[in-house]
Amino acid sequence: MSFLGGRGSTPAGQVNPERVEMAMQELDMITDVFNKLVSSCHNKCVSPRYAEGDLNKGESVCIDRCVAKFFEVNKKVGEKLQSMGAGAAATGATQSAFGTL
Amino acid sequence: MDFSQMNAAEQAHMSRVIEKKQMQDFLRMYSNLVERCFNSCCNDFTSKALSSKEEQCVMNCTDKFLKHSERVGARFAEQNAESMGAASK
Repeated sequence: MSFLGGRGSTPAGQVNPERVEMAMQELDMITDVFNKLVSSCHNKCVSPRYAEGDLNKGESVCIDRCVAKFFEVNKKVGEKLQSMGAGAAATGATQSAFGTL
Repeated sequence: MDFSQMNAAEQAHMSRVIEKKQMQDFLRMYSNLVERCFNSCCNDFTSKALSSKEEQCVMNCTDKFLKHSERVGARFAEQNAESMGAASK
């Protein structure tokens, strides 16, 4: 019985720290994105003059578009970073990926 | 998130972790909301008591923020489902 049991199958009843760590990282990432999304779209769409407690029509539409746009930006930045990483790997750059900036 | 490929011990561990994170998240949301509504609603310090206008503002601010966060959550789930569907095709 090994506590350092390799990747893949872990005996039932044991926790594979690697797999749990991965899941936690994903969870942290999603929570972080969500919190940023709430805060950004609130700043951009909800007027700070709190005359009523309901979202009005304009604010609601703004929020919907804000979320969609945030995701699009997320995707674009991800693609850009990925292509920069691929480019750096192709030119055989040994320095850090951002060394040329 | 999908934890189906984890064994029972790992799933139990994850749900404990998630519970803890939810608590932390709630406390953080609470303090952020206090800051946000205080900054938006309280600008007059000629009295130490919250005026009825300020109190109404704070109530509206809290209400509105929760509705906002609910709506963002719904859209967030939709977007997630969409990109999951696209990825699994």
